[in-house]
Amino acid sequence: MPAALDAIVAELSEADKQERIELLIDFAKNLPPLPERLAAHKDAAHRVEECQSPVFLFVEVDGDRAEIHADAPIEAPTVRGFVSILVEGLNGASVEDILSVRNDLIDRLGLPEILGMLRVRGLNGVLHRLKADLVRAVNARADGDSTSAPNP
Amino acid sequence: MGEPYVHPEVLVSADWVQEHAKDPKVRIVESDEDVLLYDMGHVPGAVKIDWQGDLQDQLVRDYINAEKFAAICNRTGIANDTTVVFYGDKSNWWACYAFWAFKLFGHKDCRVMNGGRKLWIDQKRPTTTEVPHYPTTDYKVAGANEASIRAFRDDVLVHSKAGKALLDVRSPKEFTGEKLHMEDYPQEGALRGGHIPGAKNVPWSRAVNEDGTFKSADELKAIYEQEIGLKTQDDVVAYCRIGERSSLTWFVLTYLLGYPKVRNYDGSWCEWGNLVRAPIAKGA
Repeated sequence: MPAALDAIVAELSEADKQERIELLIDFAKNLPPLPERLAAHKDAAHRVEECQSPVFLFVEVDGDRAEIHADAPIEAPTVRGFVSILVEGLNGASVEDILSVRNDLIDRLGLPEILGMLRVRGLNGVLHRLKADLVRAVNARADGDSTSAPNP
Repeated sequence: MGEPYVHPEVLVSADWVQEHAKDPKVRIVESDEDVLLYDMGHVPGAVKIDWQGDLQDQLVRDYINAEKFAAICNRTGIANDTTVVFYGDKSNWWACYAFWAFKLFGHKDCRVMNGGRKLWIDQKRPTTTEVPHYPTTDYKVAGANEASIRAFRDDVLVHSKAGKALLDVRSPKEFTGEKLHMEDYPQEGALRGGHIPGAKNVPWSRAVNEDGTFKSADELKAIYEQEIGLKTQDDVVAYCRIGERSSLTWFVLTYLLGYPKVRNYDGSWCEWGNLVRAPIAKGA
């Protein structure tokens, strides 16, 4: 697992419930805006269908590094906070490291405890989607396509 | 001016809430889909009651028992005669759900803040992250009101077979059976898609405006009466996936249009779509 994500897991799992809520809110507030070249491409192809709120993921590959950008509305701070954790924890990490992130990430972040089991389902969908997009981006490169990002 | 709501007193405005912020007989309750919203800033004086963490039993699929309900009221300073005003995100879905749960336990004076959280924020009204503490109360659960507002699967089967009014308030694709939230929602998922035979599809969101407020009585009647053919005295059951969206429809029919016999089937599609031999209809 990438070191940056490891550090976030450590921070959240050591926090008590109220601190964890506040940390997740901080992550939601600090999600960087999409780069301009991507902001115009918040379309169905980049929308995470598993989420009720509009969540957009952009996964690109440069060499063996992944570049990850995302957007979600501030009115849905839970998913925005989680997406922000993924961006901060995974952006710039190697493809291999990202694919090695275990699917129980949400449990290890201690999120079910503050969100309840029903609410973490959609979040799992984001992580699955991110990995699937990453694999697609790698394959697209191998096929000679230079990027999976939308071409303006 | 169109016709007024049948029970207009259950709906209060943001102005009313602001005026009653310090009224000891009034308790403002935020209930959201997104559980972080309250902690990001809420109506001053409001307490948080979470539909999932507070109102649902954590073991059995059911609501909490009377004892636990009383404990929530005691903790949040709600007495038997307190006016409880609910508001929340998503056009008050969860506020209506909490309202309905309070009615299950027979709480008398429940209201909803029209427009919910969105309108309050959009109008730039004050918010705070300060969590208020109120003197503990000694709540006595009035007694179950369950039979009149809650339907169980066996009731619904009889209801469906009798051809009585049945509203499916999910999205059209869920109604036809085209869409199932399977892979990432195993606990909310159903093994079969479609709807309960005889149900009519009226997505919950048709009852609300863009700004989160409820539509006028005339507009609501145009949908539920002229279009769907409901009549005031009909015995109505509403359902969705887990009973949250349909609690909003229940609220609209019961209080805004004054239907005396409306029940929410909170087992909803997550139960029905998994029941062995339960009859299912597919398509529009």
